[in-house]
Amino acid sequence: MADYKILFTGSVCSGKTTAIRSLSDIETIDTDASVSDSAIRRKQKTTIAMDYGVLEMSDSARLHLYGTPGQERFRFMWQLMMSDLVHDAKALVLLVDNTRNDPFKDIKFYLDEFRDYLVQRQLIIAVTHSDQQAHPDHAYYMNELKNMGIFTTVLFIDARYPDSVLEVIKAVLAEREPSVDWDELGKRLMEHRPPVIEDQSCEASESEQQEQIEQEKKPAEIKLFNAVSLMDAAMNTRGITGAMHLGADRKVLETNISSMQNQAMLKSMVNLVSALEQKVAFLGHIDNLVLCGPEHETLSVFVEERQALGLCSEKELSLSVVKQQAMDLLQWSGE
Amino acid sequence: MKELLGQIDKPGVIESSCILQGAEISVSTFVSRNHETVAKKAFSYVFQNVTKLRTKHDEAHLEIGGKRLSGFMLQDQRVLICMSDKNTNVSLVRDHIYLLKPKVEA
Repeated sequence: MADYKILFTGSVCSGKTTAIRSLSDIETIDTDASVSDSAIRRKQKTTIAMDYGVLEMSDSARLHLYGTPGQERFRFMWQLMMSDLVHDAKALVLLVDNTRNDPFKDIKFYLDEFRDYLVQRQLIIAVTHSDQQAHPDHAYYMNELKNMGIFTTVLFIDARYPDSVLEVIKAVLAEREPSVDWDELGKRLMEHRPPVIEDQSCEASESEQQEQIEQEKKPAEIKLFNAVSLMDAAMNTRGITGAMHLGADRKVLETNISSMQNQAMLKSMVNLVSALEQKVAFLGHIDNLVLCGPEHETLSVFVEERQALGLCSEKELSLSVVKQQAMDLLQWSGE
Repeated sequence: MKELLGQIDKPGVIESSCILQGAEISVSTFVSRNHETVAKKAFSYVFQNVTKLRTKHDEAHLEIGGKRLSGFMLQDQRVLICMSDKNTNVSLVRDHIYLLKPKVEA
């Protein structure tokens, strides 16, 4: 029996758990816990350790599917998996959520993180959620990746459908494993396994599942994930005590910061960033301005072209964590 | 003082540093005048507002382009400014500065 391993990684909500559930012949092992950070905008549960599933590809070939947790704070698990469990994997599948404001930022981030691991392995970029957000399309990805110096396979998949995810596996193993009849395998998976309904639905009632299926049939332009606002998501994030959402003109759209002192300080920081954006654009984009001290909450302003986010956070929270949470909040913010 | 700034600059952590006294730079190892000017303007403004609004913040970080400019308020109201690569772990920068801050303040 030939055993193969493939590792799935990608941002929170990119579909890692769903993809593995779609293919696995066994009840998948997952380690879901309630979300306690910016991912609350997209789902109630998230993977905190790893996902694992098995696919019997033929009588003589078996595939072990591993998924990393998406959040950067579980990075230690990525290292553990790379050096131990999946050190002998054939490929890394990077799932990219097309609804993120800048999917290429995610690609760059994960490729940096897994650079050494990729030296001897195949990379597949699998784009998900393109039914909700069609752009960037395949041609755009190929062109941008070429500009980034990355030449690899890009597939658009729907992680809920086994035959769609199977295309990724085929791209990795078709030439290596001649014993697999890919058409037959696809048929078997589709016949015996209904599409996986994501996230919350694993705990939802039948009527709720039906409602979700109906929701998924709606046109792509309808935003599915606006139930939790940016402000609510920020407030659900561990260590964040207040938030201020600003538009492209750097005017405040919404805030829940009660301290007038913090509000005034954040506004002055935004004014500074606005002035610098105009005057010293030649030095590059301003990403953030952070103000901290031993006796006061940390105040931060994170800036993107179309919006900005001001945050108050507990002084004990590390600046790296604040930054990562802010980036995630901005990546999912709707217009 | 310039020798002291030489100790603050550390390969892989801090590329250059300067001291902001009032609204002027008193001593500097910055090679890029543009970054030095931005740091001067930005941290003057930030710490003026800290004083005005009576908050107790004493440290600021501004990420611009591929660089991070960090300002640390010293006891005598001077500001120690340093520049690092944006990808350098900010904790390394902070630890290094907090180690040498007493020497600069002395």
